Amino acid sequence: MVNVEEIRDYAAGLLEKGEVKSVLGFRRGSASAFAEPCTITNVGEAASLVWDPTCLNNLALYLVKDRKQQAVSKTPDTRPVGIVAKGCDSRAIGVLLQENYFKREDVVVIGVSCEGTGVVDPRKLSAKLKGRTASRVTFAVQGSTSVAGGRTPGATDGADGINVSVYGDETETVIPAREVLADRCLECRAAAPALNDVVFGNTVEARDFNEPFHAAKEAERLSEDERWATWERHFDRCLRCFACRAVCPMCYCPECVVDSTTFVVTLGTSAEEKANRIRWCERSANTSESAVYHLTRAIHLAGRCIDCGECERVCPVNIPLRLLNTKLEKEAFEMFEYQAGHDIEQASLLSSFRDEDPNSFIR
Amino acid sequence: MTKRTGVFVCHCGKNIAATVDVKKVAQELAKDDGVVFSEDYVYMCSDPGQTAVIDAIKDNNLNGMVISCCSPTLHEKTFRDASELGDLNAFQCEIANIREQCAWVHKDMEVATEKALKITRASVRRVQHNQALEPIGVPVTRRAMVVGAGIAGIQAALDLTDAGLDVVLVEKQATIGGNMLKLSETFPTLDCSQCILSPKMVSVSKNSKITLMTESEVESISGFVGNFKVKIKKKAEFVDPELCKLCDDCTPVCPVAVPNEYDVGLTNRRAIHIPFAQAIPASFTLDEEACLGLNPVVCGKCEEVCDVGAIDYDKKPTVTEEDIGAIIVSTGFDLYGMEHMGEFGGGRYPDVLDGLQFERLCSASGATEGHIMRPSDHKVPKEIVFIQCSGSRDPENHCAYCSKICCMYTAKHATLYKHHVPDGQAYIFYIDIRSGGKGYEEFVQRSMENDGVIYLRGRVSRVYEKDGKLRVMGVDTLAGRNVEIDADMVVLAQAMEPSKGTAEIAKILKIARDKDGFLAEAHPKLKPVESVTAGIYLAGAAQGPKDIPETVSQAGAAASKVIALLSKDQLAHSPMVAKVRDPYCTGCEMCVDACPYDAITLVDGKASVNEVLCEGCGSCVGVCVRAAIDVKNVTQLQIHEMISAIMA
Ligand SMILES: Cc1cc2nc3c(=O)[nH]c(=O)nc-3n(C[C@H](O)[C@H](O)[C@H](O)COP(=O)(O)OP(=O)(O)OC[C@H]3O[C@@H](n4cnc5c(N)ncnc54)[C@H](O)[C@@H]3O)c2cc1C
Ligand code: SF4
Ligand code: SF4
Ligand code: SF4
Repeated sequence: MVNVEEIRDYAAGLLEKGEVKSVLGFRRGSASAFAEPCTITNVGEAASLVWDPTCLNNLALYLVKDRKQQAVSKTPDTRPVGIVAKGCDSRAIGVLLQENYFKREDVVVIGVSCEGTGVVDPRKLSAKLKGRTASRVTFAVQGSTSVAGGRTPGATDGADGINVSVYGDETETVIPAREVLADRCLECRAAAPALNDVVFGNTVEARDFNEPFHAAKEAERLSEDERWATWERHFDRCLRCFACRAVCPMCYCPECVVDSTTFVVTLGTSAEEKANRIRWCERSANTSESAVYHLTRAIHLAGRCIDCGECERVCPVNIPLRLLNTKLEKEAFEMFEYQAGHDIEQASLLSSFRDEDPNSFIR
Repeated sequence: MTKRTGVFVCHCGKNIAATVDVKKVAQELAKDDGVVFSEDYVYMCSDPGQTAVIDAIKDNNLNGMVISCCSPTLHEKTFRDASELGDLNAFQCEIANIREQCAWVHKDMEVATEKALKITRASVRRVQHNQALEPIGVPVTRRAMVVGAGIAGIQAALDLTDAGLDVVLVEKQATIGGNMLKLSETFPTLDCSQCILSPKMVSVSKNSKITLMTESEVESISGFVGNFKVKIKKKAEFVDPELCKLCDDCTPVCPVAVPNEYDVGLTNRRAIHIPFAQAIPASFTLDEEACLGLNPVVCGKCEEVCDVGAIDYDKKPTVTEEDIGAIIVSTGFDLYGMEHMGEFGGGRYPDVLDGLQFERLCSASGATEGHIMRPSDHKVPKEIVFIQCSGSRDPENHCAYCSKICCMYTAKHATLYKHHVPDGQAYIFYIDIRSGGKGYEEFVQRSMENDGVIYLRGRVSRVYEKDGKLRVMGVDTLAGRNVEIDADMVVLAQAMEPSKGTAEIAKILKIARDKDGFLAEAHPKLKPVESVTAGIYLAGAAQGPKDIPETVSQAGAAASKVIALLSKDQLAHSPMVAKVRDPYCTGCEMCVDACPYDAITLVDGKASVNEVLCEGCGSCVGVCVRAAIDVKNVTQLQIHEMISAIMA
């Protein structure tokens, strides 16, 4: 069981000793039971840090933001940043390091193991509560409360259920984790951050909720025609708000090849260059352009997506984006035993070729 | 700059014009933006065709042109040269392939014309964004390496030194000579193999321009044509060839016996041995794998008896790096394993031999001193059956290709057999006889007429042992009957396959292999000795089954290519190289890992391309998710333009 006090003390210690300029973490949200990201810069603020199943965000995104700010600042503050990281978040940091986005010494990873559970899916929780709003969501401790609906199989250290209280009724109900956890947590293969400077909580190996890539495998059962029809429906409602891109820590490119408004113009950009910018897809939100946008994004994330599920969570029109990315991760794993963010020394999926790889025609 | 593009559509006689309405293509393109000249011509590559191109460039002040014709591998250079003659930068000329990629693969004129139009239009849109480029000049190392010292490698090395070049000759085995060493007499003239090979081997050892490295293999290579750096690993030299006086005091004391490669396993040799009497280098050698442990505590007998102290168990493998301008690969062949021929008793019965084993039986330097006898009981075989195409021409079970030389060497074997055993009878099962070559057909006829060899057209289904004989169950399709022969010996004309390790050496040198695993030539007709990698050439059986005359011709051809290449002071390197668009590069290093030529490094956090190393392959372009790297004249803008032209 993770003791949040330990996280607070560690963060305070880092700030006190001046080892970091700030710590990225979670604090209680103002609007609901859900935690929100925060950046703390002094010891006193450490007490506001929280750790519970509503710490949804992938904070690695803010490392990218910090790096971008440094790039444009005249007097950049290059001191390291501390970051509270779940298993998936640490993989994101891993990919960023693999791609030289910053250096290992630029970041202090305060790892937190999700142990037997993970984070909740707000949509699943709200459905479970039949429209009522949760006022408090915490990890259940084994033996403390009877688990409604039985024990979650495989959870080993007691953090196998989620305690939920709702506004107007402060008694705690325990909901089996399986019923409200985010899909990615149900499929998670590495709930403890492998890349870390410290880890709080236990490393839990056995988490038999769902097999890895469960959702992608389910989706593959449909025929090709059915799949196309489904995705056509999804792409059809895409707003091209680019929220998925904005929230993704891997989408850090200064210029997005599928969004002409991001084209970089510097003093050295000639008029001809400007005129010759390629529009691989138009910005208008019609089905075919949106399909190109999403498929390009998926391909650009192959071997890079670490399945934090943020893109899917922030999508205002519920496009199951995670499926696109996990499908590619599944291929990467099955064909090349490649897992994004697992090994920062490894060459990226797209740029490496090993003798054992299938498709011998390339040799 | 206003585009002034010229388009030239070739008929290629009827090759293109039969399926593509070339006039229409030219007329339609004349209407395209920026196209100021568009015409068709019957043979663009002919002298009048090229003159028309040069005149059109000048008359119309063209600043770009597309020749719509055959594959650029054929005539890109032709037309780029013509372009320069018309004072248009060579790189402003592009080829649209409407022959191999259009006319030849379609039948319907209407659709083929439509496609030719699109292919040409795409090239027009591309060339309108081409930059004028100048070749990059790079210095040349006037030194060659030959890998594999069979007759191919030996011949190539000698030819190279004749032109004054220094040569590093790398051979895996302890002696040079390759498979030809094992042959007895050679068709079609029946001269003794050793007698014609040994003098060449001695010339190699006496030639001061050749650095001979036996028991050595190429470990890695970097660099590019004219400037390779090659790491060569040489096995530990436990016996010092300078000191070894060939007294042969060591072999009698060696307790280990292993099959002798030189005799194709018909005899044994010791762990310390000389491959054969005339080996080059002339020295004993110690087989590390067979030796009891290179440890005086375990054995150490040979070191004790060597008075000159030539043996040193503490020697270590060495790796040397050589600067090399060009490479000839002549790694030869192996015979397809007998273990695959279970139905013929291959690998099962001692008296079922492969072709090379039979050569050893016939050879005066072989274990039997040239007397043909059965390995099992040393009896002279009175009935002998040769089976041709064993493992060849059988795409389902074995090798799909024809091994080319087996018809000839089987006829030779039957003839030699008759010379050794005049009262014996030789039978040959064959599918058909392929004896193309000077004097070859006559050779086969002689074996039938003078030596009474019985040729049976048909396949053998099975060979099994019965009452001390080998029963051969076959069919004579000409007579339309089954044949059963109780033979004393069966010889299988095993297929030739690329020598073991061909896949590895191809990978190290970054050259391609064909579908059968032989080293692939750059063009089957026009570049038969070039590999796909600039500066690397092929010779001998490594490139495909062939006999000695053909091997020697190819070795000479490869050598002359190298001589021509290394006669220049500078080599021109293609300027179509990668270029980084700095503002977009985030320094992720994916391209660095992807580049097969190690041409990219990070400089100040941005990718930077070494233009001399870059081959313009575009691997980096494919991996860069930020589209921050482009190959000149194949930029993403150009590709986008081409796709747009085709999709329109
Ligand atoms: C049974 C039989 C009978 C034949 N009879 C005749 C005949 O009568 N007349 C005729 O014209 N032809 C004959 N031939 C064909 C002849 O043997 C070949 O044409 C010839 O040997 C090919 O020479 P090569 O140098 O290409 O290959 P090889 O002789 O195979 O030589 C290749 C050399 O490269 C070395 N090598 C391999 N890999 C490496 C590596 N990675 N690094 C370094 N060195 C390496 C090998 O050790 C070898 O020394 C016969 C062939 C067979 C099988
Ligand atoms: S694509 Fe989605 S799941 Fe993958 S790393 Fe980006 S935000 Fe996370
Ligand atoms: S792959 Fe692209 S972004 Fe990455 S280093 Fe190379 S050019 Fe730069
Ligand atoms: S095009 Fe790119 S990958 Fe290919 S050789 Fe040049 S730098 Fe390397």
